[in-house]
Amino acid sequence: MLDKHADYIAVYGSKKDDYEYTLSEYLRMSGIYWGLTVMDLMGQLHRMNRNEIVEFIKSCQHESGGISASIGHDPHLLYTLSAVQILCLYDCMDALDVDRVVEYVKGLQQEDGSFAGDKWGEIDTRFSFCAVATLALLGKMDAINVDKAIEFVLSCMNFDGGFGCRPGSESHAGQIYCCTGFLSLTGQLHQVNADLLGWWLCERQLPSGGLNGRPEKLPDVCYSWWVLASLKIIGKIHWIDKGKLRAFILACQDEETGGFADRPGDMVDPFHTLFGVAGLSLLGDEQVKAVNPVLCMPEDVLQRRGLQPDVLS
Amino acid sequence: MHNSFTKLHGRVKVKTTAQQEEEKKKEREKKLKIYVAARDACFAKRKEGIKDEEALELTQQLLSSNPDFATLWNQRREILMHLETIKDEDEMQKIYESELHFLESCLKVNPKSYGSWFHRGWVSARLPRPNWVRELSLCDRCLSLDDRNFHCWDYRRMVVKMSGVPVEKELEFTDRLIGSNFSNYSSWHYRSTLLPLLHPESPDPKSSGDPPSSQAHSHRVCEEQLLKEYELVQNAFFTDPNDQSAWFYYRWLLGRADREEMISCVYVSRDEERVVVGFSRPVNVNVFILFVEVILECLAVVLLFSIVLLGTIQWSTNVNVLVFRSELSVEKTSVLQSELQSCNQLQELEPLNKWCLLTIILLMRALDPLRYEKETLAHFETLKEVDPMRSAYYSDLCSKFMIENTILKMEYAEVRVFSISDKNLTTLCHLDQLVLVTHINLSSNQLHRLPLQFAMLQCLEVLEADSNLIENLEGLYHLPNLEEVLLRNNNLQPLASCPKLKHLDLRGNPVTLSDGIEAEIKALLPSVTKLLL
Repeated sequence: MLDKHADYIAVYGSKKDDYEYTLSEYLRMSGIYWGLTVMDLMGQLHRMNRNEIVEFIKSCQHESGGISASIGHDPHLLYTLSAVQILCLYDCMDALDVDRVVEYVKGLQQEDGSFAGDKWGEIDTRFSFCAVATLALLGKMDAINVDKAIEFVLSCMNFDGGFGCRPGSESHAGQIYCCTGFLSLTGQLHQVNADLLGWWLCERQLPSGGLNGRPEKLPDVCYSWWVLASLKIIGKIHWIDKGKLRAFILACQDEETGGFADRPGDMVDPFHTLFGVAGLSLLGDEQVKAVNPVLCMPEDVLQRRGLQPDVLS
Repeated sequence: MHNSFTKLHGRVKVKTTAQQEEEKKKEREKKLKIYVAARDACFAKRKEGIKDEEALELTQQLLSSNPDFATLWNQRREILMHLETIKDEDEMQKIYESELHFLESCLKVNPKSYGSWFHRGWVSARLPRPNWVRELSLCDRCLSLDDRNFHCWDYRRMVVKMSGVPVEKELEFTDRLIGSNFSNYSSWHYRSTLLPLLHPESPDPKSSGDPPSSQAHSHRVCEEQLLKEYELVQNAFFTDPNDQSAWFYYRWLLGRADREEMISCVYVSRDEERVVVGFSRPVNVNVFILFVEVILECLAVVLLFSIVLLGTIQWSTNVNVLVFRSELSVEKTSVLQSELQSCNQLQELEPLNKWCLLTIILLMRALDPLRYEKETLAHFETLKEVDPMRSAYYSDLCSKFMIENTILKMEYAEVRVFSISDKNLTTLCHLDQLVLVTHINLSSNQLHRLPLQFAMLQCLEVLEADSNLIENLEGLYHLPNLEEVLLRNNNLQPLASCPKLKHLDLRGNPVTLSDGIEAEIKALLPSVTKLLL
């Protein structure tokens, strides 16, 4: 099946005139990151057009230093991180003006330590993660006020040990992934109540084996990744039934076309394909490369950059 | 990175014929042309700096079908800000009102678009005469359609903050939502943020048990309100005992404030040139090193006198009192007793309800961990049977409680032998409480490893850990006084290095099968005189 998944991704990127493909232009940079990362995990990165992609990234860097999803779109932290992640995969960070990327990230930090996604000021713990992940990959964490950034993320911790978008927001597996990842990169995992949060996270597993992102919601391959990665980060991955989760993820494959869907029987897409394969990797599948739970990138790529984010044991 | 990718969720794959496929393809090509033309027109306007009503019209077309196209919202904001410079207040009021109208239609189609909700907040804040009452009722309507929409909840919190809605009103709002549907995690969550604001825990240390701290205050609720809250939650879980929302909330209500960060134990040894410091909460290593420096200064004087006599200094707080009420709060025993009775009643009706069983265990521990030990163990067994997917969680939790009980049973903190064999332990914790132990017996458990925290056992001379599943000895690397290690029947591969190790029993491990193992061990551990392979 791995070959089929690789074919699916390789073909997906070549259908540039497709209507659906065009509709998702606003997130293209992340789309490329998802596709390339899953290809790298499957040992197939060479099948993608490196030169074209690197040139594309260069043309998406703006005056401000930030990077946009595509040409003609505005820069944003989401796509700045994706671009930096892609250049790590290709080991060619010099394609970007790195100092300006750092300036861009730094400029988005607010007085309370939080980060805006772009100059329009939307605040979200996702952007705190994007900021420190970008800087960690660039080796420039000291550019921002890390203490303040930590203070803000901790102010988003809830009664259940989880985290939400902003102070007072409900816990959500995607945000928990961002916040535990953030605390790993900033060396603050001891601030997490691992027993309480781990209980909430392992209760996300449903009878189907799949994981949901919040209580009383449906299971989904991408939430399976966020919950699983968070559990790995806080040292409690053994609290779920790995065999059942693996079976759920495998059931989300499309055996005809390759690729993974959110749930069995649904349409596949590159986003769920990455998180399906990355999930299998965290579960110990030896057919794919080891994935890092914090940055969702192959471990060998991070080793090359000398980066080893903390995880609790 | 995850972002607004909601459109890719829940699209069922349907089989189509070749003809249908061809028709669809044509249809898509047509749609693509229209879409690309509109997008290019928007981008062209922007490039030329044209900020007119036509540009608003064009971006509106695209956003109504694709509200995640963030750059177009940015373009609209630029246009609106430009219009502010050329229109008067009434005109702007109208323009912004129609923007809100447009947004409402977007939210109807896609109620989970980050871009639409953020733009609504932006517009509401710029409106010359904002109408927060209308915004609040929009939230009411939206939450009546989906009471878990976190975008809407977050928007509501912003509206509440901007317009100064009193906390009581919002608490009443959650009363209403919970009254109509107990299974509403979002509402319970909201209550957890509102209650401590409205009914903060009393600052009187007598009623709260612990010395007051700013952190405890901001997250805890006063006892009188807690009693009312227990009643509400019990209504919820008696109505639907399988609804996890109420149970999560209940565990929080019963919980206590975080323990304050403090030093629980200091051990200084001149012979080994070591200082061991135990903390009541996990600390950052950098902070830890700083602490050690401070402590060394404070202890300098004491050391001058004592080292001469003893060689070591030990100091620890009375562990039994401080540590193991950890899970639940210190309300009057009578309250916990009656909570336990309610849960026991429910358990009689629903003997296999895992939420109820777990809560009973926690209540029993808060009341009297030793008296209820047998029942607790039995409940854990049932839990593992009825909820096998989480059996590892229950095993770890049970291990923690068994270790706590064993420590509680040690009559004095000075007891040097810690024995906890054959208890199905899957994890080790509270090792910081065992700094003075010289002999530990962990035999016949399910331990996979001796964790790094084992380094806390600085006085340890004898380790018995036969018949576990131990794979490596990383936890033993820093134990200077270790003399005997018994590790029969484990899963060992590599070897550790301990300078004083004399007696090593490794029978029944895969490592003993490898060639030249005896010579290798002797080279690694020269002081071993009794080696059993």
